[in-house]
Amino acid sequence: MSVLNNYVYYGGAFGLIFIGIYIVLVKRNLIKVIIGLSILDTGINLFLISLGYISKGTAPIFSKIDMEIARMVDPVPQALVLTAIVIGVAVLALALTLAIRLYHHYGTLNLRKIKDQRW
Amino acid sequence: MVNPVLLIAVPLGLSFTLPLFGLISKRIEKYVPIVALVFNLVVSFMLIPEVTKRPINVFIGGFQPPFCINLVVGPVGILFSALIALVGLLASIYALDYIREGAKQLYHMLYLLLLTGATGVVLTGDIFNLFVFFEILCISSYALVGYLGDKAGIESAVKYLIQGTIGSSLMLIGVGLLYGLFGTLNMADIASNIDKVSSISIFVPLVLLITGLGVEAAIFPLNAWLPDAHSSAPSSISAILSGIAIKVGIYAVARVIFTIFGASSILHFLVLLGLVTLLIGEISAFCQNNIKRLLAYSSIGQIGLIVFALGMGISNGVVGSLFQLISHALSKALLFLTVGYMIYRSGSMEISKLEGMGKRMPLTSLAFTIGAFSLVGLPPFIGFPSKFLIIRAALSKQEVLFTVLIALVLLGTVIEGAYFFRVVQVLYFKGNHNNLKREEAPVPALIPIVILMVLIVIVGVYPKPVTTMLNSASSELLNRIEYIRSVLG
Repeated sequence: MSVLNNYVYYGGAFGLIFIGIYIVLVKRNLIKVIIGLSILDTGINLFLISLGYISKGTAPIFSKIDMEIARMVDPVPQALVLTAIVIGVAVLALALTLAIRLYHHYGTLNLRKIKDQRW
Repeated sequence: MVNPVLLIAVPLGLSFTLPLFGLISKRIEKYVPIVALVFNLVVSFMLIPEVTKRPINVFIGGFQPPFCINLVVGPVGILFSALIALVGLLASIYALDYIREGAKQLYHMLYLLLLTGATGVVLTGDIFNLFVFFEILCISSYALVGYLGDKAGIESAVKYLIQGTIGSSLMLIGVGLLYGLFGTLNMADIASNIDKVSSISIFVPLVLLITGLGVEAAIFPLNAWLPDAHSSAPSSISAILSGIAIKVGIYAVARVIFTIFGASSILHFLVLLGLVTLLIGEISAFCQNNIKRLLAYSSIGQIGLIVFALGMGISNGVVGSLFQLISHALSKALLFLTVGYMIYRSGSMEISKLEGMGKRMPLTSLAFTIGAFSLVGLPPFIGFPSKFLIIRAALSKQEVLFTVLIALVLLGTVIEGAYFFRVVQVLYFKGNHNNLKREEAPVPALIPIVILMVLIVIVGVYPKPVTTMLNSASSELLNRIEYIRSVLG
């Protein structure tokens, strides 16, 4: 069981990543595609967090003398995730703005019907 | 000595304080990008003599590497930052008159952010920081592609956003895997430890990083967004996207392959990708009737040539590739800038509607001709020495394979010549030229066009100073031991 405990977070993270990619590739509605991108983002954030996660770990601050270094959680991935979340929110906001504009122009969000531009 | 951090800090700071300048007077907003980019250009050129002696390392936050975020200002970095500042400056002078509608304040803010992101990518020495700057570059370019808010612009922006976001997500997974393997994000530190793990486990992050960065660099199977985005953006933005944004992607791919991974075994794959990108881009460009789409596809072709030359992995090849990169940045920026006003005057993007432009806009048409001839590789323009260097490098490999490949590259150049000469013919020799009035582009647009024209000819006739710079840049890219030593001490 301990193997499962160690890797369950990675499994979950990559599960979310693949679900996100699947949604982006298959769905026709732009809003659903944007939701897919968001799930993909969440999966990556979970993956980054689980890189440095220790079960029942403590924050890496030397507040008491008897703290064990081995039990401390790696703070770098958390800083990365904080940045990645902010970037993800920016992309999401921009994508939704563009979706609204796209709907004004075409009257639909079905990506199969929006193909004025092609090779 | 000027601190290289200012190259990133000044444009970033000015882009967010730009609305404050707008409070003072609405008229001075549009001059803010010019001020920032003149500053960047001057600082980059001031740093060049020092940087060529030894790379400057800046440690942010007072920690030593590998624990801090560091900037590595080597010959490659300074070369790119000078190029970004130069092309950015010229396009911002052009935009003074060109951008008349829409939220102008936001245009100038996003424009500065885009160039900040590009400068950050080429200067940073930390792989997560590279991702962050890449996102700054990408998000502002998504927004700028849709700036006009018309049907085509919004559709292209959506396409670009979806593909770009997937690309950067893949890149972030790659960064995460590298952090999991090495426990560090410093590129030099990763590079020095890369031999200690099995090649299977670094293969996945390598593939993810190249795929992610390849979307922005528009390498063949990942470039479906490019023709739409480049053709429906405002022309000043097309010039920046074609001249700067995809070049930054190429830089990041080169940095990942050569410096971080030292992956010489995938170089042949890169050569093949470059060749396919080149041929597909040129053949698609040949079939276009829309002038901006033609230029966009031609960018794909040129990217293919640059990747091809990078993939040769020898010093001459990398010099040729970087030279081609500079030559394409200048020529394609010139072409997009000239085409912007031609479309404005003729009211259509169709090539056939450009008839008689040789008489209506003589200087602009001359500039277009020079840019086109330079891209095709005619002497005495800058495209000639760059293509010559690439061909010489391929022949110096003395392998049958490369002789065949370079023949295919030359075939691509012939196709390129065919479609560019066709456009030049339409400009000068088609249609009835009587009763045409002269209506040249306005002065703020002519200044960058003339400067680019002069630069293309001067560097084409006298490439020596550029090639000296490129030699040290290529040795920085190829010599990863030296890079690691210069960062970690």
